[in-house]
Amino acid sequence: MQITCTINGRTHRFDCAPESRVLDLVREAGMTSVKAGCGEGECGACSLFVNGRLVNACLLLAPQIQDAEVVTLEGLQEETAAIRESFAEHGAVQCGFCTPGFVLRAYDYLSHGGERSEEAIKAALDGNLCRCTGYRKIVEAIVKVKS
Amino acid sequence: MGVLGESVVRVDAAAKADGTLRYTDDLPFDGLYGAVVRSEIAYGKISAITFDPSFDFSDIVIVDHRDIEGRNANVVLTDDQPFLAEARVRHIGEPILLLAHRSKRRLREAAAHIMIDYDAQAPVLSMEESLALKQRLYGDDNVFKAIHTVKGNPPDETGLYTLEKTYTTPHQEQAYLEPQSMVARFDGGRVKIIGSMQCPFFVEAALEGLAGEKIEVEQAPTGGGFGGKEDYPSLIAGYAYLLCKKAGQDVKIVYDREEDIAYTTKRHPSKLRYRSRFDSTGKLHALEVDITIDGGAYVTLSPVVLARCVLHAAGFYDCGCIRVDARAVATNTPPNGAFRGFGAPQVLFGIERHMDDIARTLGLSPAVVRERNLPGAGSVGVSGVPIAEHARLRDLFESARNESRFDALYDSPAPHRGVGMALFMHGAGYTGVGESMLASGVSIVLEADGSVEIRVGSVEMGQGTLTALPQIVADALDLPVDMVSCRTPNTAEVADSGPTVASRTVMIVGRLLAQAAGKLKTALGDYDTPDGYREAVARYRQSGAPQQFGASYEQPADILWDEDLFYGNGYEAYGLGCYIAEVEVDPVDYRVRVVRFDAYNDVGMVVNPMMAEGQVEGGVAQGIGYALFERLVYEAGRVRSPRFSDYTLPMAPDLPEISVRFLGVEAPSLGLGELPMDGPAAAVANALGHALGNAFDALPITPETVEEACR
Repeated sequence: MQITCTINGRTHRFDCAPESRVLDLVREAGMTSVKAGCGEGECGACSLFVNGRLVNACLLLAPQIQDAEVVTLEGLQEETAAIRESFAEHGAVQCGFCTPGFVLRAYDYLSHGGERSEEAIKAALDGNLCRCTGYRKIVEAIVKVKS
Repeated sequence: MGVLGESVVRVDAAAKADGTLRYTDDLPFDGLYGAVVRSEIAYGKISAITFDPSFDFSDIVIVDHRDIEGRNANVVLTDDQPFLAEARVRHIGEPILLLAHRSKRRLREAAAHIMIDYDAQAPVLSMEESLALKQRLYGDDNVFKAIHTVKGNPPDETGLYTLEKTYTTPHQEQAYLEPQSMVARFDGGRVKIIGSMQCPFFVEAALEGLAGEKIEVEQAPTGGGFGGKEDYPSLIAGYAYLLCKKAGQDVKIVYDREEDIAYTTKRHPSKLRYRSRFDSTGKLHALEVDITIDGGAYVTLSPVVLARCVLHAAGFYDCGCIRVDARAVATNTPPNGAFRGFGAPQVLFGIERHMDDIARTLGLSPAVVRERNLPGAGSVGVSGVPIAEHARLRDLFESARNESRFDALYDSPAPHRGVGMALFMHGAGYTGVGESMLASGVSIVLEADGSVEIRVGSVEMGQGTLTALPQIVADALDLPVDMVSCRTPNTAEVADSGPTVASRTVMIVGRLLAQAAGKLKTALGDYDTPDGYREAVARYRQSGAPQQFGASYEQPADILWDEDLFYGNGYEAYGLGCYIAEVEVDPVDYRVRVVRFDAYNDVGMVVNPMMAEGQVEGGVAQGIGYALFERLVYEAGRVRSPRFSDYTLPMAPDLPEISVRFLGVEAPSLGLGELPMDGPAAAVANALGHALGNAFDALPITPETVEEACR
């Protein structure tokens, strides 16, 4: 089937099977910040925005992005600059495989006026897995993002 | 410049945070995808392989063991594990055939049209069945390796108490976020391997046997390893190589999460029997430890894991008579392998639970019992030599006990709350004289602009190698850290500095790099300023002298090790930990929450405090996961929970604030990576014992087991 959507503002057309995962489509389109971590919506490494909502690309099938506006970390470099800097500065990046997902999660949280308390941020990170950091430095980085 | 001891920002942080760093599966690729057809039974013979005649296999690349030109053996310590099964299979998931095609979908369809018939035999699924010789799987006794060691003489038993307890620990999955991934690139008959790995030279060695020639191996940015990418990548690299060679095209294999959890190596499960004799003050007089670990179907690294179990089995406690009997056994389950801690987390759970059990038997505080058994100047450890770290251990214990207010918390428990302690050590670097057998070398190269490139096989997998090693070299040369960088580990281009394992990167490779940098500095002569340095470089380069400086490992003369007697310096040095956990139990749903965690560490000089803290926090999180969350269910030799929805890892809300302190400030730097995995499980279990008055001897401690204990 034919699927048309925009990814980071540019129109993309996919000729794909209906059961194709959006995760694979956006990666094939070159958006490799979207990582395949678990394939079942548990780890958040494949986070991206579809029509403004942060979702796990591994759980979406191709028809679900027909005519949609898809935005990945590649398309949010300016908007996430302060967050990424804070992640680096506070040691919130280790192996880095989960990091794009956490950066988008933090961006979504902060841009919706999320409270800068550790407890609230921890709760907001519930859908993202990190096996390296123990989360403390990620939480600290988000608390200290320069606004 | 003093860059040692500073929290320099990781050099790779920006590229990781903006998503531009390319891991194996992100690299530009135009080739075939590979897949593995695996055994569906745990033990038996392959009787027939049938390719469905109604399916067109003509465009599918198919490899079986007959395509192997070199040796069909993944040589780790021994050569018992084939890359591809020939006649017999020994575990569910054992690779039998390899397939490749440009379309992943067609690859799946092809796999579904291959039928394999077996003459199945009754599998050996537990350590008990293995030792009872239900089937003969390995040698005469199914034992991959046994170690027996006795130190000291049995005490006079008058007035001594005896306590015997059995503790068990389960499989644990490394759960690196990036699944195993490997690419084999075809270039006019030559194959190059690029992938996610800890040990490029291990992969090179394995492929040399398989291919009968040297194969260049390059590490790609690696999304976590924790031991899971120590030996396993050799197998998947072998699969990619075989398909690539047969197809004459690039081949990529990326496991999905289910395949990764179900078939790659795990932490060894263990059964630990501790039998102690102690007096009424809690002083240990004798300790007998019986250890059995489940190696799975092939030897892989089990003998080395077992040695590490033995060396840590009694902790660092002072005890006049220690006997350890240990064995790694074969079963028909997927092979187990390296995981952060490498045998130590199992036995340190045992000894640290046992110290609390002694305290409970006598009605004493766990801190008092530990204090009574702290080693002194004359105390010898399980391998028969004095415990050089005794003063550091006492300092660490006292600081942790006092600053965490352990005694006050222990003496006045709140309802459903408890506090627990673990005091432990971790041998840094290889066991015994293992390091000298690696003959590690390092190399640094002076560039024309005065910058320095490090060429070693040590890899970045999240722990900070790319930042810590330049800090060490920059410090030795009095240069800014951004003047030093690491070349991508590639077996054709860097020195073989040994594998990235055993907390040895900073301690061993870092030390060698400092030596190599010292040679460069001597060659350059005196300089005081950056300009002076550049002038010295220009002068030196004009002289035409070598631009490359190296150093290689030499065994310190005072390190003695007798493998047969299991006597000597088990390690060159030890990192130390004293961890304190406070837990709270929900009386309604029996969920356990760790509410506070204090991690006191002595790892000598800390190269980068921010990265070191991150290592400890991450290790503690894995340790809390081991204690409370992570449970792999095996059924008839098959992993029944190969997903993150079943195999639950701790998420941000599941973890407490983790307070990290480093007490050691003096050089040298000791191993840090593994230590924080060793203590948390015992500290949490002991805290739970304090909260509920029950002993928790088996991991993981789930709400179900808490409920049962409370009944």
